This record gives sequence, structure tokens and C-alpha cells, in this order.
Amino acid sequence: MSEKFTVGWLYPDLMNIYGDRGNILTLLKRAEWRGFEPRLVELGRGTTKQMDEVDIFFFGGGQDREQALVYEDLLEFKQPPLEQAVNNGAVILAVCGGYQLLGSYYQTADGARYPGIGMIDVRTEAGKKRFIGDVVIETHIETLEPKTLVGFENHSGRTFLGPKASPLGKTLLGHGNNGADKQEGLVQGNVVGTYMHGSLLPKNPHLADYLIRNALIRRGVDELSPLDDSVELAAHERILQRAQHHLHLQHR
Amino acid sequence: MIRKTAAVWAGKATGTLSRVSRRGGGTTLPGDVARAIDPKVLTKLSQDLTHGSIVITGTNGKTTASRMVTWLLEGAGHKVVTNRAGANLIFGVTAAAVDRAGMDARLRADWGVFEIDEASLPKAVEEIKPTATLVLNLFRDQLDRYGELESIAKKIESALSALPAGSTAILNADDPRVAEIGLGLPNKPLWYGLDDMRVAAHELPHAADARTCPKCGASLHFDAVYVGHDGVYKCPNNDFARPAPSITAQNINLASFYRFSADIENTQLDVQLGGLYNVYNVLAAFAVARTLGLEPGYIAERLRDFRAAFGRQERVEFRGRILNLVLSKNPAGFNETLRTSIDLANGTNFLIALNDRKADGTDVSWIWDVDFEHLKDKAQVVVPAGNRAHDLAVRLKYAGVQAAEPETDPGRALDLLIKLTKEGDIAHLLCTYTAMLDLRAELVRRGWAKPYWQT
Repeated sequence: MSEKFTVGWLYPDLMNIYGDRGNILTLLKRAEWRGFEPRLVELGRGTTKQMDEVDIFFFGGGQDREQALVYEDLLEFKQPPLEQAVNNGAVILAVCGGYQLLGSYYQTADGARYPGIGMIDVRTEAGKKRFIGDVVIETHIETLEPKTLVGFENHSGRTFLGPKASPLGKTLLGHGNNGADKQEGLVQGNVVGTYMHGSLLPKNPHLADYLIRNALIRRGVDELSPLDDSVELAAHERILQRAQHHLHLQHR
Repeated sequence: MIRKTAAVWAGKATGTLSRVSRRGGGTTLPGDVARAIDPKVLTKLSQDLTHGSIVITGTNGKTTASRMVTWLLEGAGHKVVTNRAGANLIFGVTAAAVDRAGMDARLRADWGVFEIDEASLPKAVEEIKPTATLVLNLFRDQLDRYGELESIAKKIESALSALPAGSTAILNADDPRVAEIGLGLPNKPLWYGLDDMRVAAHELPHAADARTCPKCGASLHFDAVYVGHDGVYKCPNNDFARPAPSITAQNINLASFYRFSADIENTQLDVQLGGLYNVYNVLAAFAVARTLGLEPGYIAERLRDFRAAFGRQERVEFRGRILNLVLSKNPAGFNETLRTSIDLANGTNFLIALNDRKADGTDVSWIWDVDFEHLKDKAQVVVPAGNRAHDLAVRLKYAGVQAAEPETDPGRALDLLIKLTKEGDIAHLLCTYTAMLDLRAELVRRGWAKPYWQT
């Protein structure tokens, strides 16, 4: 019997507007291709079942209406088991709304402040202009090859990192965390947060493997068998080519 | 009056120039020009209509439903002005009205039938003051352009709340978000919906299609799911439920990719369109036609001869092969066209074309919500095409579907499809909006189809 690999999808019905299923499928398939038995646990409102068995949690983006519903449930049910799981070596990938909710607060345009669950050292403030478009970053994660990550952003929140957090990378194209400091996303322990969807992981198989490997360290796995990523990296490369074309035009 | 005349003349001149210079049929620019000269030109031209106008909005089915309503009115002897070819922003509507106005700047027609982009509905309703407004559905579509579904829903809500007295809102009761809007309106809308459990699924196709109760926030429970999140639903705490539709489609028989039959108001309709999404379009057009006073018997008779709009579901024959072009522009639409071409047409050969231009939506992440898994073990040939063919190739890989190398050039993608498709076989071309225009332009260049402004 093969070993299980479990992905926990936080609020699949409510926090799922940007093709987040692509991230889930990528994690499950890449584990399966390496001989693991893939398993998906859907963590909707009111449940905490099997949270201690999850290897990687995924927390996506939602609309304002849904995000408010999620927030209450997150405080009531999910926060303690989530913190415990991460302390035990589980990994979290949070995109957009999920990224904001894990931080210390979100401040709206009229100054009202909604506390997040404070698992990561970031704060977010509402901005006027919505950042929409392709994103290319150069990641600070040393082991990643290629060095670039590609995605698509669509957010009006401006996220700022505190001293405990480090950025996922430097923006080469797009606005990233706040459009001001040229940084995108966050890495804090086993949590990776980002504004990049598109979906993020299918065109960034190296980041997907980084998350899988980090989640498996506690089981004594430190090397993943290589896969043929030519299809994924060809799509990655296409975005880089377009970005180069775009940047060339901007600098003219 | 003078201003209106100047606006109409300038608009007409622009349209002629644009057609002569072959810049894509001249479907919206004349509208920009006319509105710059007289911002009220559409309001004034709308007032010339002897009977009134109908505006049609929603994520999927606008073009087909508009063409159907036009077809029904024209068959009853009415002169109809309508916007064509997806030119559905306020400029496109203005351009259509300008084009049909005479040199005296009067619009000589009985009815206007206009498809309107969801976000443009408030402006359209304010200027056109329609007799009836049809809202087909609200699915997730082109997130990059509009922000989120909720902001579009709010726009539609404000437009319908501002409808003039005596103007009817015709709404899809099966769509929870449309129903939520309709239940809050001062005047009771006309509700329509499907009523046939045999063609229903019992679970939502995707987590992404889930809806919550507008009052208590609980996840809605679905007794029937027809298309996307459209079906028969209720709140588990009884705070909200599907409004009872007064016009329903029953005894639905999805006979083939090209034909279905259904009973509406005890009248059997046989229509040369395939797929459950087209049952919704026919039902919606029927509801509009009834509101305008047309009889069920006439509607059924006339719809027998209705044909789909260009590229919506179109067949082109080439060297004994049949190419079936189907517009598929968002998850709900794509899942339906996939289901229809596989289950009803037993399709095996596919070209899937994804573009990310403005009209398609620049964010392509939605392809991960399309069930390409459906193609697994059934498709023999799949050609990923369009300027985001490489993203499709990744999607197909993770769906376990064997696909050809991605081909971004429309001509070469077509060549590959032809090469891999045997004589006498059918190939299905599922494409986003501008990818369809690209493929069609290539088909026109090769003499396999007519240019779109002639269809």
C-alpha cells in the first residue's frame, strides 16, 4: 500500500474564484506521479475533520460577501488546528483573500479595521486602484530553478510585510504586494502567501515541488523524484517571453 | 434635432469608412462618433421606435436569445433594429441604431432588440427605456474586466430597480443570483425556469459554482442542477428559495447535437439547436415573445426554422470533413459545450482555442474550472490552440488527456486538425470569442466560410 499525500482545501465552495482548482490538481497529480496515494480533504464551514492529517493546506481567494462568512468560521473552528498543523510541519499556500486573512488585519478604505488570524506577519490596507494583469517575479527561494515565478494578479488590497516575514520574490512585471516596494508574496516558515493566481502552481511546477517537499520533510523525505516538466515549463516560458516584450515596450 | 441629425450623419459616415477600409465590419466606432456629437442620440433614436424595445443581458446566451427574439418579431411582420456580432456595449447599440436611421435621422423601425453587456445595463436601461428586460443568468466570466460577480449583480439590480413603470423584467428563476435581484424589485417580474428532473443533475458541477443564501449565508441546497449553478434550490433554513416560474419548459428531449424538443405552455417546440443551455435560450425568448403578445403556436412554428448565430454553433464542410464551431467563453458555457459535443454528438476530434485578449478576458485561470477530464478516454484528437495554447496543454495534461503539441497559429492549428481528422468525420472547435474570430478569418481566407458581417 502506498503512502497517502493529503491536500486540505479551505472553503472550496466560498474561497474559489480564480481557478484555484488548478493549484489543488497540480499538488495532487505531482504527488500521485511520484507514487503517493493522493487525497483531498475539503474543509468547508463548521468542520475540522482530518486537519491533523493534512500535508498541504490551500487557502484561495473569495468575493467580499463570501470572505466575511469565512472569517467567522476561521476564528471559531479552523485557527487552533491550523496553527497546530503548521507547528507539526504542515505547509500552507494562501492566495489573495486567503493570504490577507492569515495576516494581522485588513483595513478598509474608510479606515475600519478587521483583524485577521495573525498567523503571518503581514497587514493589508484597501487601495483605490485594482491591480490587474500578468505578474513575473524573481524568487528569493534559493533552491528554485528556474528563478522566475509567473502568475496573474487581480486585487485592490495593499499588503505590507512585518519583520518576521520575507517576500517570496521581487517583481519584474506587475504590482505584487502593494505596488510600492517591488516585492511579491511572503515566505514565513512553512507558509507561502501570494497574490499570484492564474492558476499559480500549474505553470510553476518548481514551486509546487518546493511545497510538496517541505511538507514531506517531517516524514524523512528530502528529495523528490524528477518529473518531465516540459509542458509546464513551455507555458512558463511563454509568459516570460511576453513579459520581456512588454518590459521592452515600457522602457522605450 | 439638428444635433441628432449631425450625430447620425457623422456616425453613418464613420461606419461606411470603416467597412470600406475593412476594419472589422464597423460595428461600434460609429456609435462613439455619434455619441460624441450628441450624447442623447440613443435616447432620441429609441423614441422613434413605434412599438418599443427589448434589452437582453446575462453572462451566457445573449446573442442567441437576441437573434431568436428578432427572428420571432420579424416573422410577425415587424421591422426590427438590432445590434449584431457581439457589439454589446452602449457604443455598439448606438452604432446599430445610427446605421438603421434614415438621412433625416429618424429610426424607422417597430422594435429594437439589443443585447447588452451586463456592466452596461444601467446606462442602456436609462437611455433606451425598454418595454422588457431579459436577464438570462449570472456566471463567473472575465474576472479581470469586471472585478467580481457581485459588482455586476449590483449593477443589474440598480438597472432593474430603475425600470420605468409598465416595463417588464423577465428573469431566470433557476439562477440564484438573478432570483435574489428579482425578489427585491418593486414590481413582480415574469419568472421562467426548467421543469424536468430527467435532464437534471443532483450535485453542482464545481465548488466554484456554489451559492449561498442572501439572508443567512448558509450554502444553498440544490434539488436539481441544470447548467452551472442554475437549477432548483433552497436555503436549508428556509430563508430563500427559487421563485415559482410561470413559464416552464417540460418534457425536454435532447435528441442530438443539432436538435432538441420541449413543451412550453403546452406547446411542443422542435428547435435546431443542441444542448440544455439552448433550452434556456429558447425558453427565455419564448417568455419575451409572450410578453410582447405573440401566440405560442406561432412561436413554435417560427422557431422550427431558426438557425444559430455565427460561430455560436456553426457547421462548415471542408473536403468531406465537418467542422463544428462552438463559442465557449467561460466555465459554465465550456462545460456545457463539452458535455454536448461528447455526450450528444459522440465527438472524438477537438480543437480547443484559448485567447486572452480583452474580449476573451485577460485572466485565463478559469480553464481550471472547466471539466476537460470529460475528454479523457473519449477524445482521439485534441489540438490546443489560441495565443494561450500552452496553458491549455498544461490543463489537458493534468486532466489526463492526450493532446497534440500546442499550436498558437490559427492556420497551422486548422491544418493539424484537418490532417488528424479522417474524411467523413466531424471535428469540434471549441473557442473563446476572439479565438473564434481568428479561426473564422482563416476559414474565410481559405474560402470555407462567409465573412461575418455578411452572415
